[in-house]
Amino acid sequence: MSVPQPLRGRLAIAAGLSGLLFVACSEPRRPELSYTLSANSKQLLADAPTAQAQLLGTLGMLFGSPADPSYAVPEEWIDDERNPNSGLAEMSEARQAELVAANQRAFATAIAHVEKGEFALVAPAREALDLQADWAPIRAGYDEIAAGVKKGTKTQADLDKYVAENKADALALFTDWYPSLRESAELYRTQCLHCHGTNGDGKGSTAPYLSPAPRDYQRGAFKWTALNDKARPRRADLYRVIENGVNGTAMLSFKRFSPTQLEGLVDYVRMLSIRGETERRLAGSFDADEGFKIEAVQEEYLDVWSSWDKSDAHVIAYDGEVPASTPEVIERGRVLFNDATGANCVSCHGVKGRGDGASAMEVDPETGKPVLKKDDWGNQLSPRDLTGGIYRGGDRPIDLYRRLYAGINGSYMPAHSTIKDPQGNRKVTDEDLWAIVHYVRSLAQGKRL
Amino acid sequence: MSLLNPSNGWWTALAVLVAALLVLVTFVKYTRLWLVLLIGLVPVLGVWTFVKAPEWGLWFPEDVSTHGKGMDQLFYMIMWMVTFTFVLTEVALVWCVFRYHEKVPGKSLFTHGSHKLEMIWTAIPAVALLVIAFAQIGTFKRIKFENHWPTGGPYSAQKPIAHVIAYQFAWLMRYPDENGSFDSVDVVESPFDFVVPVDTDIMFHLKSRDVLHSFFLPNLRLKQDAVPGMTIPMWFKATKVGEYDLICAELCGWGHYKMAGKLIVKSKADYDAWLAQKRAELKSNGKADLSNMEEGQ
Repeated sequence: MSVPQPLRGRLAIAAGLSGLLFVACSEPRRPELSYTLSANSKQLLADAPTAQAQLLGTLGMLFGSPADPSYAVPEEWIDDERNPNSGLAEMSEARQAELVAANQRAFATAIAHVEKGEFALVAPAREALDLQADWAPIRAGYDEIAAGVKKGTKTQADLDKYVAENKADALALFTDWYPSLRESAELYRTQCLHCHGTNGDGKGSTAPYLSPAPRDYQRGAFKWTALNDKARPRRADLYRVIENGVNGTAMLSFKRFSPTQLEGLVDYVRMLSIRGETERRLAGSFDADEGFKIEAVQEEYLDVWSSWDKSDAHVIAYDGEVPASTPEVIERGRVLFNDATGANCVSCHGVKGRGDGASAMEVDPETGKPVLKKDDWGNQLSPRDLTGGIYRGGDRPIDLYRRLYAGINGSYMPAHSTIKDPQGNRKVTDEDLWAIVHYVRSLAQGKRL
Repeated sequence: MSLLNPSNGWWTALAVLVAALLVLVTFVKYTRLWLVLLIGLVPVLGVWTFVKAPEWGLWFPEDVSTHGKGMDQLFYMIMWMVTFTFVLTEVALVWCVFRYHEKVPGKSLFTHGSHKLEMIWTAIPAVALLVIAFAQIGTFKRIKFENHWPTGGPYSAQKPIAHVIAYQFAWLMRYPDENGSFDSVDVVESPFDFVVPVDTDIMFHLKSRDVLHSFFLPNLRLKQDAVPGMTIPMWFKATKVGEYDLICAELCGWGHYKMAGKLIVKSKADYDAWLAQKRAELKSNGKADLSNMEEGQ
């Protein structure tokens, strides 16, 4: 190449300018996501690559893909008119009305345009893919007539008539909107995926930098619920966490999205969890001679579903009023907290509640050094420092009571309601639990930040 | 929206390619013209975007505070000063690029230093800065000097309505118990929602758990860094009921962009009812969850 020296600089600048023009006119591609097998399944089926492919295909049949997630609907559900793909039918009428009101707030601009007949100015939300698709034909019809008015083949009266005919449908699109799983998957992709992962296994790209680690939904175990017996969370439990976040962790509040969108996220998180649990069970019970039989698959699938349907029966509530927090109650709570034969909180949470008790540690078999015990997800787990006043599952006394009553799913926190003495009586009664709750809350009194 | 997307028509994509090619070819031949155009476009586009911004919804959000008027006046005053200087210098620059582009044969004139010029370009900015300094005193003291606050006296003698705690990546508002005490076990926590009564002088304490954050209420023209280890008192008065943005204005980590809370301005009665309800929730025995459930079935 023999470009004269003075021209080289100019060429470089010109190429840069043209490149900028080019970049400005193109757009980044939306990545194509796909569900993969969990590390657990890959390990279990390491010797059977065909089975891995079969399992992935089976799960695809039951749950679809991230671009188009949907549940397989068994025949009996079709007869019962049960649609698992939308959580709307599971909500009370009052809640449904709240969501309509929330939509009216969230789509206020679009709704105002529709009411004025300005169809050309209506822009559905970016994440609401199906809403966009439903709106498109109404808009197309409008545009066609509007173009005709310009050309003179149609009149303004035609346009007004079209608007009048379609206004009610158009308004209903926005006010009655409830996100499909596809739309929720899109919101999940932009907001949740980078921590919780495409499969909901808590292995997103930002996850390695977080402590505590993001929740892995695939076990179906969730820590911050109002339920006992390690029941699957209710909608309200998942909703509370998405709405308020989890204090002291990287899980933050998503209140800036509308309640309708958050309910949609609850649907999708539940789907990822049911998918993960089904996968665990299928991979766990895989028999090389039998393969994946359709009846067995369906049985596991419905069994996982049924465990989610029963949660409402497990809500922990206390009969009677919450006892008042008096100095006597707090002192009684202190004694119970330190009682090694009773509640024995002290063994993990330490004498001053700083989370430095000896039982939280175990000896690492390789190094012989004491390390923190691991929870069900394999993450090292430090008992809560109760003097900080940061309560992940909620800061009301009833929230702490529920932690004590039912323990914390997946961790070493035991369910004190199930610990019995040799005579079969509860070691820690409900009154004792309240005393401990009040003592624990008093530890952080005035120290919360 | 992409012009290169074939679904918008191959012609559009072709036009972009041709435009890029034209830039490439003509730049080499007509460098001077391009430079003048490019540099000349800066003041033109700058002024144009400024004129069009309110139309595009990129201008100030609605002001619902008593701080806003003074802040906005200061902003406009400074902006007009800057706009005038900006356009003046850009015009001079474009003219120089155009006029003195060609190499002139012969020796250039060498000068070093001009006392008179230096006096001028020191004095003018100094006067400008003084004008700004005196103009902002009243507004600054009303917003930031505690002994000028309508809430009265030094802040240590006042009762804050809430503690606002920033952490990665959340806002947590903590309200006192019935006796106004923050040291009680019955403090009320409200994640992400800062609820305040309308038309009331609101004093609150700003804290941070971990790193620098910045408490920013665009609709109230109020911004303050939250510094770990410090308790920073602030005040404002919201004049209109509604929900407004509360955002973090200091890059605080990877989740900075998600740190968007809400300022919820309620009428005095609604505010009292909200706080009473939050306090009542502390005494919940969990039965409410059961009744919600029955409704749902």
